[in-house]
Amino acid sequence: MNNRGHNTQERASLRDALFGVPHLSGGRRPGERKGGALTAGSLLDKAILLLLLGAVCLFVLWPMACILLRSLGDGEGGFTLAAYAQVWSRYRENLWNSVFVGVLSALACTVFSTAAAIFIATRRGWVKMACMALLLITMVSPPFVSSLAYIQLYGRRGWITYRLLGISWDPYNCWGVIWMQSISFVPLNTLLLIGILSKLDTGSLQAARDLGARPAAILRDVVLPLMGPGILVSLLLSFVRSLSDYGTPVIIGGRFSTIASEIYLQLVGYSDLEKSSAMNMFLLLPAIAAFFLYRYLMRRSDKLSEGSRSRQGRLELSLSRCGPVGIGIAAVSILFFLMMVLQYGCIFLAGFLKSTKGVYSFTLRNWEELWRLDAATMVRSVVYALIVSLAGTLFAMLFAYYMERRRVPGRSFFDCVATLPYMLPGTCFGIGYILAFNHEPLKLTGTAVIVLANMLFKQLPTATKICSASLTQVPLALERSARDLGGGQLAVLRDVILPSLRPAFLSCFVYNFSSSMTTAGAIIFLINPGKKLAVFKLFDAVYTGDYAVASLIASVIIVIVLAVEGLAYLITWKGGERNVS
Amino acid sequence: MYLELSHLKKSFGEKTVVEDLTLSLPQGELLCILGSSGCGKTTTLNMIGGFLAPDSGQILVDGEDITAIPPERRPVTTVFQSYGLFPHMTVLQNVVYGLKFQRIRRAEAREKGLRYLEMVGLADYAGAYIHEISGGQQQRVALARALIVEPKLCLLDEPFSNLDAALRVKMRQELKSLQRELGMTMVFVTHDQEEALILADRMAIMEQGRVLQYDAPLHIYHNPVSPFVADFLGLKDLEWRQDGALLKIIRRDDKEEHHAG
Repeated sequence: MNNRGHNTQERASLRDALFGVPHLSGGRRPGERKGGALTAGSLLDKAILLLLLGAVCLFVLWPMACILLRSLGDGEGGFTLAAYAQVWSRYRENLWNSVFVGVLSALACTVFSTAAAIFIATRRGWVKMACMALLLITMVSPPFVSSLAYIQLYGRRGWITYRLLGISWDPYNCWGVIWMQSISFVPLNTLLLIGILSKLDTGSLQAARDLGARPAAILRDVVLPLMGPGILVSLLLSFVRSLSDYGTPVIIGGRFSTIASEIYLQLVGYSDLEKSSAMNMFLLLPAIAAFFLYRYLMRRSDKLSEGSRSRQGRLELSLSRCGPVGIGIAAVSILFFLMMVLQYGCIFLAGFLKSTKGVYSFTLRNWEELWRLDAATMVRSVVYALIVSLAGTLFAMLFAYYMERRRVPGRSFFDCVATLPYMLPGTCFGIGYILAFNHEPLKLTGTAVIVLANMLFKQLPTATKICSASLTQVPLALERSARDLGGGQLAVLRDVILPSLRPAFLSCFVYNFSSSMTTAGAIIFLINPGKKLAVFKLFDAVYTGDYAVASLIASVIIVIVLAVEGLAYLITWKGGERNVS
Repeated sequence: MYLELSHLKKSFGEKTVVEDLTLSLPQGELLCILGSSGCGKTTTLNMIGGFLAPDSGQILVDGEDITAIPPERRPVTTVFQSYGLFPHMTVLQNVVYGLKFQRIRRAEAREKGLRYLEMVGLADYAGAYIHEISGGQQQRVALARALIVEPKLCLLDEPFSNLDAALRVKMRQELKSLQRELGMTMVFVTHDQEEALILADRMAIMEQGRVLQYDAPLHIYHNPVSPFVADFLGLKDLEWRQDGALLKIIRRDDKEEHHAG
């Protein structure tokens, strides 16, 4: 049932209080089997827990602390606010630009997302399938594809603006940035809102109808208010993502720059660590504030769906009978999905076209060139992604278990720290790692470890959430039975928890893999120039204007991620068939 | 008759769920549809409420054919099994929601809402949110919300199934007296024999989409139409007293068996 998830925590603590289960020791029962194996097991149990908590502190908290310390440092061991004063006086315009773009992007993106979510939730059949497929593709797309398509379609020599309409204009400005950001944040928010819509109580909708509410009234009085917290979350997430997005302004901002794009330039161009640390604090503080607000809002959203007893496959609401609002929702959604089709059509095509004096013809030359020059990069990307997926999934499962089911001292603190990277701007997470790990005893800069760790901890919040959700489905009685029959904590973990997390393993793996392949955020700053990854090459290619190669890399990434995910589903599906549990 | 169902038929794919159902009910009476799960009773209720369209047949309320009218325009309201209360509204806002569509002024609606809350004994909870009140109280809010729009017919879909046994008995009595007081025509669906026998003015026993017997409870009690009906009602364990009270008899041999086991 729905309530189980909410009560697990209380019940776990209650159980520990009632039965006096010592929470950090093994499942040894008094006077029985005090063997060395069990003691070793309980030691191992403690060791795992300490390892998890230590890693979270080292790879999340410490880098953040490093940014703060560096921004306050005067280079000689003392503390000063000089860097802040400098940023405030010199980059006030960038700060203002960031807020301006952030607010407008968040608003536009949320309008699109809300409309698209309601539209998809009320569809069924092939329309729904097609829309979901498009969303899936956007979720596994590398960043910058929107900007890439934007330049190709509407740029100075754009297919639509120049070749079709014959106009020549300058697309590199702040409106382009806002437009692109809103478009590229839509899929994630839409999926979030679809999730909330699928938890709506069918009873409420039926009751409203039963009491005389027409579809427009149901939408206004029931559906939208219940989506309320989700819509706020969408605004918040988009705002923070816009603040921390440096790629879009760098690529299509032209002379327009935000604080994030300025950090990128300071870091890549001048390696000015003090100044970029101070600038990063201007991103970090709102991000952390947004993070706590986000947690509060998600709890409220859960509360609104708490009492809902009935679930549904489809939102029973006729948009065409919803009046102007319904028509608006359908129109905005259709517009959005058409733009997506155009965008991906453009990306997939552009890699195979060559232009000679304005005449396009089909070519495989780019493809061959990419394969000859960058095969190693592609392979490296896949290997890194696989490592992060496996290690990250295991980490997330263990972490979720200790957080959900055991009374770890300081639980809420560690939970909060591990979730923090969800909102951390890529520039912060990147520069934090540079500062934290570029001297002995932890000199990791330039190695693969720093890139892998960065990916793993950036993705930990979502991965943990997937596992926690799955864990709440495992009855506590199972765990108790294992203990009752003489198994220790470790046996519980091995025989009960991990096997029941198998479905979560797949979602977690797939999420980790696609994120590792497609996230640019922090790793742009961490990568060793000799060991590039595909997203890095993509950014390079877009930045230098090599659009055909960029399109090809983007297409290849999308195809690889889809293929690996398909394979993962196939394997677990086959495995599940053989071993129906 | 006030409510007339004639030759209702509904099937989902190959499976016929309701087969040629015909019932009629005078105004102000309470009809109980009793049957085990999957007998088609909820489907029947959904057809009366307008949430399912019958394959064939007719539904008449107060002489008006409502078969093709969508739920929002039917003079019929439903108390759902899961209540379907709006979690983002207060108790009072929930109760007066339906009045919005009757063009009633806000102040008037509020007054009426408070009156109905008083009627179900929740006057003190007007400002509370749904998750702040108990299951029994939620049940009453759902009832008040359905009755306030003064429907011609009120449907109840196993409304007490989420309550504990003691509360269920109490709610039964409250519902019965409320229904008498308002003279409301009601259709009540349940799988609880005792509940049906106590509440109903008329009782329909359904099995596999058909009505096996339709009559006053006392009449069914004295003349069950078939051994199945007698067995289903558990008549050998019930005793109807002269004063109208119904007793459930726990048989001696059952007890002995229980002790032996």
